[in-house]
Amino acid sequence: MFQNRLAVFGACIIGTLIFVAIFASYIAPFDPCEQSLEGGLTPPSKQHLLGQDGLGRDNLSRIIYGSRISIFVGISVIGISLLLGTLIGCIAGYNPGWIDELFMRIVDILLAFPGILLAIAMTAVLGPSLNNIVLALCITGWVGYARIVRGQILTVKEREYVVAARALGANPVRIITHHILPNILSPLIVEATFGIASVILAEASLSFLGLGTQPPTPSWGSMLNEGRQFLLVAPHMTTFPGLAIMIVVLGFNFLGDGLRDSLDVRKD
Amino acid sequence: MKDFIIKRMLLLFPVVFGVLTFVFLLIHLIPGDPVDLMLGENARAIDKEKLRESLRLDEPLAVQYMLFIKGAIKGDLGESLYNKKPVIHLILKRYPETIKLTIAAMVLALLISLPIGIYSAVKQYSFMDNCSMFFALLGVSMPNFWLGPLLMILFCVNLGWFPISGDEGLRSIVLPAITLGTAMSAILSRMVRSSMLEVINEEYIVTARAKGLSELRVIFRHALKNALVPVITVVGLQFGALLAGAIITETIFSWPGIGRLLIQAINTRDYPLVQGCVLAISISYVLINLITDIAYSYIDPRIKLR
Amino acid sequence: MACIKESRPTGNTIVIGLESSPTNLDPRYATDANSYRLAQLLYNTLIELDSRFHPVPNIIKRFANPNDTTYVFHLKEGIQFHDGKELTSKDVKYTFDCILNPAFKSPHFGAFEKIDSIVILDKYTVKFILKEPFAPFLINLAVIGIVPKDDMQKSEDSFNITPVGTGPFKLAEFLHDERIVLNANADYFDGRPKLERIIFKIIPDSTVRLLELNQGNVHLLQNDIPPDLFPFLEKKDSLKIVKRPGTTYSYIGFNLKDAILKDKRVREAIAYAIDRKAIIRYILKGLATPASGILSPYNWAYEENVNVFEYNKEKARNLLDQAGLIDTDGNGPQMRFELTFKTSTDQLRKRIAEIIQQQLKEVGIKISIKSYEWGTFYSDIKSGNFQLYTLSWVGITDPDVLYYIFHSSSIPPQGANRGRYINKRVNMLIEEGRITLDMNRRKNIYSEIQKILALDIPYVSLWYSTNVAVMNKSIHGYVVYPAGDFFSLKDVWIEND
Repeated sequence: MFQNRLAVFGACIIGTLIFVAIFASYIAPFDPCEQSLEGGLTPPSKQHLLGQDGLGRDNLSRIIYGSRISIFVGISVIGISLLLGTLIGCIAGYNPGWIDELFMRIVDILLAFPGILLAIAMTAVLGPSLNNIVLALCITGWVGYARIVRGQILTVKEREYVVAARALGANPVRIITHHILPNILSPLIVEATFGIASVILAEASLSFLGLGTQPPTPSWGSMLNEGRQFLLVAPHMTTFPGLAIMIVVLGFNFLGDGLRDSLDVRKD
Repeated sequence: MKDFIIKRMLLLFPVVFGVLTFVFLLIHLIPGDPVDLMLGENARAIDKEKLRESLRLDEPLAVQYMLFIKGAIKGDLGESLYNKKPVIHLILKRYPETIKLTIAAMVLALLISLPIGIYSAVKQYSFMDNCSMFFALLGVSMPNFWLGPLLMILFCVNLGWFPISGDEGLRSIVLPAITLGTAMSAILSRMVRSSMLEVINEEYIVTARAKGLSELRVIFRHALKNALVPVITVVGLQFGALLAGAIITETIFSWPGIGRLLIQAINTRDYPLVQGCVLAISISYVLINLITDIAYSYIDPRIKLR
Repeated sequence: MACIKESRPTGNTIVIGLESSPTNLDPRYATDANSYRLAQLLYNTLIELDSRFHPVPNIIKRFANPNDTTYVFHLKEGIQFHDGKELTSKDVKYTFDCILNPAFKSPHFGAFEKIDSIVILDKYTVKFILKEPFAPFLINLAVIGIVPKDDMQKSEDSFNITPVGTGPFKLAEFLHDERIVLNANADYFDGRPKLERIIFKIIPDSTVRLLELNQGNVHLLQNDIPPDLFPFLEKKDSLKIVKRPGTTYSYIGFNLKDAILKDKRVREAIAYAIDRKAIIRYILKGLATPASGILSPYNWAYEENVNVFEYNKEKARNLLDQAGLIDTDGNGPQMRFELTFKTSTDQLRKRIAEIIQQQLKEVGIKISIKSYEWGTFYSDIKSGNFQLYTLSWVGITDPDVLYYIFHSSSIPPQGANRGRYINKRVNMLIEEGRITLDMNRRKNIYSEIQKILALDIPYVSLWYSTNVAVMNKSIHGYVVYPAGDFFSLKDVWIEND
């Protein structure tokens, strides 16, 4: 019961965020790009509830608009990675032999490869843009899911019910979708909920290296990174985007927990 | 088992070869010219040409690739374009620092996440469960580059417990390890918990309980062992992520590791050094992977090593 | 903020925080600013520059210039390398022979390629013969520290690990990306330094550098401090701040091949539309002075009376209208045209780019900012793949740098004329300037060039950055140099009040 209420709560947070992201232009009290240089780094006030950034822009409005970027990056990267990773993980896990070897070697190569170099390469070749950030994060994003799916399939495949289904001549796609996937969903969901959070953070880390969203577009990650150098004089610049990130992560996790429980097929 | 290890060791070569080819292509195909970056703003064209020739950067890409692979096979990674030292020396000097940091972070993460994860699973939905999961969430939702300076302000500036930056003995590894390990321990706690929960509900645990085995015995002998399989996957994965991702932590804490070396090499297009760093990271990643796989089959004999 | 015991520099050792590690302390190789600044403490040069960038003797008693292509240097006697050997003319010849030897891969080759031969006249006299008159020759000498001949030949490869020079400090330890330790050279020919030891600690993150300074673990920082943090630093009793206008020149470069930007009226409009004073005041916190051209007021060749563009939105709008780029809906969302503005990933630069974006929007120009990682950015502007970009020139000394930046034969890859600026008169004057040895005539030539450039606006001049050093109050005698050199460390002493 409690768990489901948390899930509802999580869903509410995410719902609110999506609402905020869609209607940002109606909710935000100011234009997120409107500068007033005299007001640089002013702490929270009545007019600017969350203070102003280095260029005197309204932090609250920037956080409201920033939800668009974070949610877009988080969901699209994880969505694509999850699909791709599950597909490849299934193919590899279910086809021992050279197919498995091939995919796992590709996975190894990508995992063994510093993601940062890829991100730099992508933005260098394709130019810095939101879509290229998503692309760069997807290239390495799927491998984690592929490995988990494969690892799980190796375990589940030997279980009695799968062995039985195979003995009965069920085709592999059916076995995977009906018997295996439902059984490996929970670790995937746990991983994906954290994944969305870590993608939002990864976007922020790209900002740390200067490869995030292009100014003046606000994203929580870039706001956090920009605020970092003012930690000693204007802590509000990091606190609020940091909290925004935390709340979103919390929401996704509550939801993930709830889903995990309701999807758990073996919970009798 | 022995055959398996030998086979996997042999597989190391194609993976490393793949990585090397990939990195060679990437680093050479992205825009940016090491000679420009080396000589700086005021250089003249003739200097650049001369330098390019002497560094053999004027050769066709295929020739450079052959030279590079040939050298790599002989164990010669060339010398850094910048400070003219053999790449292998630079790596041997810097990599241990990163490994030290990574292991510290990993140990810390395991020390935190195993007890928390197990406890939370056993006492599901208890107050402590909710609390620890909440802190796990805080951990994972704090970016390194924010957490690091906050820890510094708290523990170094206000409390004076640890040095702020650099590697000056055991005390200086604490904060970077916490910074690097926090997100990891959060991920692992969650993984341990959810994996334990899954296992706890399986028939054999129910059976074990029904047989009247003590709760501790059920948890540690039966549940934990099986719950560790997915956890180990994540540990293996995260270890690689830690190795490659120490860049930010190393930058913030001025830790002289390979992450910083790599990022500088990329920024300056120091081709041999980039290739060398990636090679070192990839070899260790593959080795960790191998260990993970062995641990896999050790814990869950149903998985056959091929 | 509760503070733990603040440590002051003790035992005549000071710790200086650096953002990035020098790559190579060998003066024949050193190119990055920090390598160069540290090499200055380890080596001596034939020539040094005075405050107006005139060449003056350093380890020479005097020099003679018997004809346009010959320079004779008379070395001071008794100057010792750190290993005790005396510096003589053969070391001078050896140093420059190395640079001229293509096998040596020295990045400074081009600066000295006009040397035809170097002749040792006696133990303390050396003659350089040039292929043709070359005015910047003496100033170029100020970059190259003299290295000892004998040691070098033994250990050419490992040289950069244990450099041996004649400078006021000796290298004690060089841990790349960690620290560099220098000890005082007790036998320094110009008097023993007052400090015993200098430790340069590499701390890449600016917040961390400040925390270390605040804690007293680092005693001095120079530049690379976010301007917004000065109010915080000024409040600290243990610290003092020294400022001095610098020579680092920031600008916006135009691509003159661009269909829109080749129209001078558009470039003028952009120059009028940028409120440099507001940026300097609010973002740089006054730590810059508006610039009128590449050569700073320190430079002997600086020309004061050039055209400047004071912030004026009306003029900007009128010029754009005249150029036929009409804003159809006045103050509405419709813009006259769109330009791409490229910058590196530096935080401060990005913020400035955002302000310029806003200011240009007010006159109806839409700017999209693209910030690239340095290597890519540099490669793009070099290949002319840009419309607008912003960058700085660091360490400008001899006005002959104009050849490299604005002569039409310097279009990349030959030089740094990235905007493809072509003006025949400027070409002619620049060529004349580099072979004219008479200082007065040379100054007139460069004055005219600066006036033409200010009218042609291949660049919008932004500002010269002010050099700032923040240090522990007990440090005395530290002088901030226009180019950010550390040379005054030889005269610094520690005295607790």
